[in-house]
Parts: sequence; C-alpha cells; structure tokens
Amino acid sequence: MDINSTKIYSVSELNHLIRQDLESSFSNIWLEGEVSNFFFHNRKHMYFDLKDEDSKVKIVMFYQNNRKLLFEIEEGLHIQVNGYISIYKKRGEYQLIALEARTVGKGAFVLAFEQLKEKLSKKGFFDTGIKKKIPLLPEKIGIATSIDGAVLKDIVSILKSRFPNFHLTVRNVSVGGMKSASEICSALEDLCSHGVDVIIIARGGGSMEDFWGFNSEELACSIHKCKVPLISAVGHQTDFTISDFVADLRAATPSVAAEKVILDKKKVTGDIENIISAMLEKTLWRLRTSRKQFLTLIDRRYFKRPIIMLGNRYQDVSITRRDFSENISRIIGRKKTERVRATSGLVPDRILSKVNSYRLTIKNNDLQWRYSVINYVANKKKYINFMLESLEKNTPVNIIKRGFATVYDAKTGKNVNTVDMISRGEDIKVCLRDGQIKARVFEILKKSLLRSGNKNEDG
Amino acid sequence: MKMDKLDFEEALKKLEEVVKELENEEISLEDSMHKFELGIKLSSHCLKKLNEAEQKIEELTRSEDGRLVTKELEIDTDN
Repeated sequence: MDINSTKIYSVSELNHLIRQDLESSFSNIWLEGEVSNFFFHNRKHMYFDLKDEDSKVKIVMFYQNNRKLLFEIEEGLHIQVNGYISIYKKRGEYQLIALEARTVGKGAFVLAFEQLKEKLSKKGFFDTGIKKKIPLLPEKIGIATSIDGAVLKDIVSILKSRFPNFHLTVRNVSVGGMKSASEICSALEDLCSHGVDVIIIARGGGSMEDFWGFNSEELACSIHKCKVPLISAVGHQTDFTISDFVADLRAATPSVAAEKVILDKKKVTGDIENIISAMLEKTLWRLRTSRKQFLTLIDRRYFKRPIIMLGNRYQDVSITRRDFSENISRIIGRKKTERVRATSGLVPDRILSKVNSYRLTIKNNDLQWRYSVINYVANKKKYINFMLESLEKNTPVNIIKRGFATVYDAKTGKNVNTVDMISRGEDIKVCLRDGQIKARVFEILKKSLLRSGNKNEDG
Repeated sequence: MKMDKLDFEEALKKLEEVVKELENEEISLEDSMHKFELGIKLSSHCLKKLNEAEQKIEELTRSEDGRLVTKELEIDTDN
C-alpha cells in the first residue's frame, strides 16, 4: 500500500465535510420527541435533547427563533421541531438547529395559556387578597378599547341608562392580535396618569388568537402593577383570558362591565328615599311614644297638685324641727344637770346663742325644702327621660327612710332597742341604709331624764 | 361631621349605621333626634353626590410633544 495515495483528513476537515454532507441531506426536517436536559442559556438560546425510548438528539434553538414561540419549551413536553442538521465542529457532535417548534396533542395557544396561568398563579397574581374594590360611584371611568367598535357603543348606551351623568375617558387601542398587548399596557399607564377611578379593558368576541393580546404576560404584569381598580371584559361569557384572572374583577361581557362599573342611579336614589322615609317614620314614632309618656307623667298628682308634695315636705320639716327642739332640750337639760352638779360653769349666753343658731338652721332648712320642691317640679318637666328614675329616688318615703338606723350589740349581735340593753363603754354596730358604723357608747341618756330636765328648764 | 369631606360610599355606609341605630328601640329620644338629623344630612349628601356631575365622554390621546390631551367624543348609541 502506498501511504501517499491514501487521503488523510485533518479533524477540522472531516467535520467540515460531514457538516456539508449532513446539512444538504437533512436541510429541512421535522423531528418529534420529548424534551429533556432543557437549558435556557441567559434566557436567550435554548439547548435541549429530544428523545424517545432508545435514543436522543441534541437540539439548539437560537434566540431569533425561540422568541417567536407562543408557549414555553419545558422538560417533558412532547413537541415537534423543524430545522436542519449541523455539526458542532469543536466537539464533532451533530445537532439539530431548530427554527420552529410546535406542540403535540394540545394546541399551542392552549398550552401557552395554561403555562402562563400556572406561572402567574405561583407568583400570586390571581390572589383574591390583592383584588381592589370597584368603587360604587366612580367620578371618572377610564376605558381602553377600540374607539370604533360596537363594544364602546354598548358600554356607553348602558352607562346612559344606568347613570346618565357619567364621565367616561376613552383610550383608543387595537384589541386584536399580539400587538394589542403593548398598546393596552401604555393605555393603562396613560389612563392612570390622567387620573381615573376605575379602568375597563374590553373587546368583543373572537377566537383565542384574536384576543391573544389579553393572554400576554406583558399585559398581565401591567394590570398587576396598575394602582387603579380594573375590570377585564373580553369576549363572551365562555371566554377566559389571563387578563380576566389578573384583573380586580372579571366581567363576562363588555355590557356586564358597564353594569358593574357604576351603580344604578334610579335604584340607589329610590333606596335612599326609602331610607329617609323609614328614618322619618321611626323618629315620629319615637316622638309620639315619648309624648305619650310625658302626658302620662304630668298627669301624676305631683305635677297636677304640687302642693301635696309640699305637704309631704312640710311633714318632713316638722319632724326635723321636733328632732331639733328635742336636741336643744337635751343639751339644755344636760347643761342644767351639770350646773346643778358643779354649781358653776353654766353660761346662759352660750346656751341662748346655741338656741338661736338652731332656730336659724330650722328656718334655712324650711326655705331649702321649699326651693328644692319648686326646682324639683321644674326640672322634672324639663327632663322627661330622667323623670321616672328620679321620682323613684326622691319619693318622700325614701327620704324619711334615710334617717332610720338599727343598732346592734357588737358582742352579742342582738338588736338594741332600749338603752337598758347597753352600757357605757360597750361596742355597738349601727346599720344604715348603705352600710354600717362601728361605735363605742360613751354616754347613755334616758329619755325620762331628758323630760325631767326639760320640765326643770321650763319651770 | 364634615359632610363635604365624605365620599359617596363613606356617607352611604354611615347612613346605614344611623338607620340601624334608629331602629334600636332602647335609644333615647334625644339621641334619636340627633341620629335623625345626621341621617337626613347623610341622605341629602348622598343624593347630592349622585347628581353632582354631568355626562361627559372624552378621548384621551398623546399630543405630538407627548403630552396627554383629551377631546370631547361623540358616540352615537341610537340604534
């Protein structure tokens, strides 16, 4: 063998030749398999394998091709890719350069929708806790929709019937296809900076591709960031978009959005008028009830014949007066006894002044009683609400009651009802209406002694 | 209570509270008169708010120098 006649390739040469060969033989093929070892380098170029039960092929999908994908290629996904075979010269490995990819089984739109929905759900975009409340009465309603469409006409006509003095700010956007997403995004920004209280994004029915803009991640992020409460109204009852999920409220159709965006003026006006008459009725009832109460009260004898009440008071006064005079007699009697015992120390002037001061007290008390009764009657007429309660407290019986006390022997606990039952220096318990007094007896005076003293004074 | 500061929803909420309080039969006459007065003020404030604005439809656009501008918009809804 002539070694010189044998062709010897360099490594690069061989790879180059095979690459040319392969690229021309497999210049446009479709390959189907399951994705594995997926690697998204800097979110630009995609590297992965397509495999079946026995074998696998390396796939490269460059940024300029994969950025057009609706769905995301992910581990385990069953797909078909279109492209050509090439050799990666550095390693001498062959790979498929993918230009396009499509899903197997589910449609690409459905898959993309599901993928984005799951992704945003994990991010918390759909959480009910972050939903803003749609105001009942927005001063300014913003809407992003096509200015020429039937949707805007429908919404305006419903607003006119629900709340004729509405204020609507329209931002014209194209609502079909992919490019609508970025237009709606900037419309949201514009409406927010212009200042509206609520925003509607709306379009009429169509195919999933028609409202694909409403399924974009870009718009989802814009809605999520939007500070103004937002209603999404896309297509018909059965159409769901990503925007619907991110929005603060989904309206099944654009017409429904118009019903949810502002209250029904006629209805609410009627409600408020009903409230007014209910309040009026309730208050009149209160007034009538109170008037009846008042009339019943002033019908009582205290008000009809206050002199009866005064009569009761006079009785109190006379009892008090008698008590006072007995007290004075007692003091006089004691002093007299003392004088008799000591044959000195009695100063008639002092006794006289004491008598005078007691007289004055009685006189003042008498006047006080009068005034208190007059004030009492006047006050009661003024304050209906306190009347019953106060009357209960101030009945003459209760006032007299205040003066009574029961005395017990502190040692035996027996009721002391005569001075003979107790001796000087012993402890007693005085029970009053509101409590007890513990006391020590320092002097016992028999009533008969007082009487004799009294007689002596008189005589 | 400063009525002018209350927005419609706050006023309506307060009104509902007042009505509830008025329905309580334990309430004193004096209190009920105060509540009634407040309720009437709140109601008329709500009604005022409902009739405050006038119908207006405008289009929001960006002018050539990028400013946001509005112009009145006619939308025919007769058919």
